[in-house]
Amino acid sequence: MTFPGAIHLISRMHRKAKKPVRAAKPKTKKRERAAKLKTMRQAGAAKPKRRQFSAPPQLEPGAPSDLDLMQAIQASDADALSQLYDRYNGILKALILRVVHNEAEADDLLQEIFMEIWNQAKNFSAQKGKPLGWMVTLARRRAIDGLRKKQAYARAEERLQNETEQQPDAWVHNATEEEIVLGDTRVLIRKVINGLPPAQQQAIDLAFFRGMSQREIAAKTNTPLGTVKTRLELGLKKIYDGLKELRDEL
Amino acid sequence: MNFEEFQNQSRLYVIGALEPEELEEFERVRRKFGKKAEDFITECYGLHEAFALSLRPAKASAAIKERLMSMVRTRKEA
Repeated sequence: MTFPGAIHLISRMHRKAKKPVRAAKPKTKKRERAAKLKTMRQAGAAKPKRRQFSAPPQLEPGAPSDLDLMQAIQASDADALSQLYDRYNGILKALILRVVHNEAEADDLLQEIFMEIWNQAKNFSAQKGKPLGWMVTLARRRAIDGLRKKQAYARAEERLQNETEQQPDAWVHNATEEEIVLGDTRVLIRKVINGLPPAQQQAIDLAFFRGMSQREIAAKTNTPLGTVKTRLELGLKKIYDGLKELRDEL
Repeated sequence: MNFEEFQNQSRLYVIGALEPEELEEFERVRRKFGKKAEDFITECYGLHEAFALSLRPAKASAAIKERLMSMVRTRKEA
């Protein structure tokens, strides 16, 4: 499969992202955040704790943390699984959908993945990472396995191509003014990703969301293996560094 | 392989993009760097979370949760 439509849209979006009007909004937001922090510090507030790479949805005051819920699931508390589902089904479904490109298959896989979370909860260790990271890793693996098992690559690719031609997908989506103003975690992370050259975005997209090896990406994109490796390494490093910067800024 | 090269490989490793011949060398160097390597790999898994959080959340069908909780209750009773 090739991504002529995707590449075109990514390039277009990349050019649009450089427009000064769009760039001005986040700077205003950044200044507002800095002013807020200054006021808080002047009022004697402690320096806010560093955020992790990415932030899960905001929790209600007094709501159990993800770790609390995982520990409760480990103790076979079904209500904890219900709460974890309410908190993360949207994020995990989006991830699965990004892999399989089919609503019904994504719903089935989502159910299977939460069942696996229930069954495999005892294997989760807080020392090895956060619950969301564990769930995302599990969901991605399961979704890619599902895609391979059904040998649906061709069908999914065709759908992806059609969808890309009809409307931008998650990674090539043009952020609206409203979203930029909102400045939520999703938009900020996507800004980091969208800041990459299209070829690097494409390589990472194929590796992460399609589970492709470097050789498979090289064959699919008709690119030398060494170039694919460089694109992946540079792209991932930029995202990693960008997320670190984002964490420091927040 | 120095630690900077190991870091580059780690980011490929967590997304499953290392080729089999690279994986062997990676595991050898991983053992050499010990805890420092493990800590860095754990941090790299944050990329998974970031990729997932970069997507617009999708709405799951309402029946899914009901089916899931019913299966869980059945499993608990068994």
